[in-house]
Amino acid sequence: MRGMRLVRFILTRLLQAIPVVLGVVVLNFLLLQLAPGDAATVLAGEAGGAPPEYVEQLRARFGLDKPVLVQLGLYLKNIVLLDLGFSFRNNAPVLELILGRLWPTLLLMGATLVISVGGGVILGVVAALGVRTWRDHLISIAAVIAYATPLFWIGLMLILVFSIRLNWFPTSGMEDVVAFHEGWARVVDIAHHLVLPTITLSLFYLALYTRLMRATVLEQRGAEYATTARAKGLTERAITLRHVLRNALLPVVTMAGVQVGALLGGSVVVETVFAWPGLGQLAYQSLFARDFNLLLGIFFLSACLVVIVNIIVDVIYVLLDPRIRVGGQS
Amino acid sequence: MRLVRRLALIAGIGLTVFSLASEPALAQRRGGTLVQITQPEPPSLGSYISTANPVGQVASKIYDGLLEYDFDLKPIPSLAESWTVSDDGKTVTFRLRSGVKFHDGQPMTSADVQFTFMEVLKKVHPRGINTFAEVTAIDTPDAQTVVFRLNRPAPYMMAALSGYESPILPKHVFSQGDIRTHQNANRPIGTGPFKFVEWRRGEFVRLDRNADYWKPGLPYLDRIVVRFIGDTGTRAAALERGEAHIAGFGAVPYNDVKKLEALPNIQIVTRGYEMLSPVVELMFNTRRAPFDNVKVRQAISYAIDRKFVIDNIWFGFGKPTNGPISSNFAPTGLYSADVTNYNVPDGIERANRLLDEAGFPRRADGFRFEITHDITPYGEEWRRFGEYTQQALARIGIKANLRYEDVATWLKRIYTDYDYEVSSNHLFNLADPVLGVHRAFHSRFIRPGTVFVNGVRWSDPRADELMDRATIETDPKKRAELYAEVQRIVVAAAPLAWTHEISFATVLDRRFRDVIVSPLGLFSSFDRAWRE
Repeated sequence: MRGMRLVRFILTRLLQAIPVVLGVVVLNFLLLQLAPGDAATVLAGEAGGAPPEYVEQLRARFGLDKPVLVQLGLYLKNIVLLDLGFSFRNNAPVLELILGRLWPTLLLMGATLVISVGGGVILGVVAALGVRTWRDHLISIAAVIAYATPLFWIGLMLILVFSIRLNWFPTSGMEDVVAFHEGWARVVDIAHHLVLPTITLSLFYLALYTRLMRATVLEQRGAEYATTARAKGLTERAITLRHVLRNALLPVVTMAGVQVGALLGGSVVVETVFAWPGLGQLAYQSLFARDFNLLLGIFFLSACLVVIVNIIVDVIYVLLDPRIRVGGQS
Repeated sequence: MRLVRRLALIAGIGLTVFSLASEPALAQRRGGTLVQITQPEPPSLGSYISTANPVGQVASKIYDGLLEYDFDLKPIPSLAESWTVSDDGKTVTFRLRSGVKFHDGQPMTSADVQFTFMEVLKKVHPRGINTFAEVTAIDTPDAQTVVFRLNRPAPYMMAALSGYESPILPKHVFSQGDIRTHQNANRPIGTGPFKFVEWRRGEFVRLDRNADYWKPGLPYLDRIVVRFIGDTGTRAAALERGEAHIAGFGAVPYNDVKKLEALPNIQIVTRGYEMLSPVVELMFNTRRAPFDNVKVRQAISYAIDRKFVIDNIWFGFGKPTNGPISSNFAPTGLYSADVTNYNVPDGIERANRLLDEAGFPRRADGFRFEITHDITPYGEEWRRFGEYTQQALARIGIKANLRYEDVATWLKRIYTDYDYEVSSNHLFNLADPVLGVHRAFHSRFIRPGTVFVNGVRWSDPRADELMDRATIETDPKKRAELYAEVQRIVVAAAPLAWTHEISFATVLDRRFRDVIVSPLGLFSSFDRAWRE
């Protein structure tokens, strides 16, 4: 019965998401029209100047000579057909460009999520269990520092210390381009390259989750159900792991949902510092190049991803806390 | 009768290339991977349709041109093993090398050359549209001979035939489908020393050795990998650690160049930009008061302390100048130093005097008038140059407010809307003044919406006429005289204030030798580069 309801809930949410995503597309499209200059100017600029015939040729080819509403209509029609268009600047279909960047992005995102959520939860619980001991102080101070330090600076410092001074990790990139390893050696090589960017990108959220977790665990341990459990004679350890942890996870899951959205775009800095071939850099470059087809494609994908993550978060709520029901009235 | 016949035979010049092949030490030179950092990542690899700097840095390893050039900017044989120019300058005949194959195994013939120039470069290449405008037809009497038929003589054309500027494409590949969106733009097939293997966007382009290259025994390297690293600090770190081996064109900022220069494993090379020759200029909107007044423009040119700018902003990588043509053209005679010299010790006094004469006395607050200076959005040194300009102008009583915008916005402001007062830029002289210099102040190049042309909207019939004559003048001496006068006129009128020639710095790992061996530097094929 509950399974059925869950499926129905997910389907309803997906249906509701369609107008949201289309709204996002239209809004993005109109917002981008406000940016001065167009792709043809930038392309000609990069070329070190070009005759007007050439620039006009470009505009006609990009469809930039048509009225804005016509351009929007065409774009919407194509989106509905799941055709994201062509990036003239990159001379490749938008979908191909995005898919090429998707797996490095997901890899970095996944590793970051695991480290920050996992580490944050553990550190938060440890700090809460030893509240006002040296462990708590140490973790809390470290968290504040990690929380307050700018990402790019952490990244560059890690490179300076671990790549240049200690020679433990490569400075940048996703794999060794002199060796071009294959098979397992390649997996190890990629993991090796993944370490520094993951640490850099994780630190902020790790600190955030640690603080969040510590606060909620402390709060939940004072709740009535914890007192009841204590009265039942359970050990503090059992209370925390069995009862408190489950309740304390809810805010962390919420934040993780938000983080996924932010990771998609917010990793631009880390991707740039470590030359990681992710979507963030692609979006950044396409904005400055006024490559709107590509940018809109990335926005579209991000919107879809955020919608999906939101649904997943809602489902996790239900699994964590049976009091939360899906599908409204029951 | 003037002799314009030029004949270069493989026996003479080709020897310099091939003499290396007989050295016994050769075998030891083979092998190794060169990792090149190119910034930013090229949007495509179609160097026949985009002249963007990063595109050229990659594609020049894959495509050959009809010619290569030595450091005196003189042509040397490449795919063309010899050539003749007719007496009237209107017929140019190239004899093509035989046995040259494209990377897909097909032979390179005159049909490919004809297709490349007539169907591609003349139609879609951003500069080719101009460079080859005079070419009316290309005849192919046999598979190894191409004859260019010109409407009027075009001496500059001979300087634009490198693999970077005019890559020779395989007709059987690129004649299929629309050249503007051709799928092989990003999977290039040429005759060059390296073959395209893979492009992982955001990461690298991999080029492997072309074992069938037409220069025997070359290239030495097994592979070139071009990496894309967005952060300047990381680029320097990768070079320091030896993860990457070469980076040029400002990919490493000058302050990092100085730091890297101190390391034992790195050397700094400033050669290899002689066919590009960027010259920094202040641009004045000459159709807007007070910059319609020649004295105001001259005053500002006097106010710029060239030596200070070079030493403090460009870390010594530059050379003071007054005029639009780079001193790199001295060997060809086209550069002239006989122009107004704005680079004088009493520049500030002269500037103040000129502004007084122009009718802009200092007000009570010490300023004569207030303007907005648009900073060139190309990075750190340009921002500092903008700040310096602000201070220099304050010294002569002009209050300048700085404005900083992104590239697209700035381009539109300067070259489409002309909504600016003073800005700065650096135009490449390229291989010939016709290609790189005329555009900055010939009135034919006042073209709204076209970037890097006459954005100052200055026009002078005499200068126009001289440039038009120089365009078709085939006698080098007469051509030099025409350009000497152009330089005299335009420097005196100061529609732009040329301040200095930039020397780009290439950061190079010492283990690699013979990498920069041509005036095109990173835009050349690296066929002779080898690793110790």
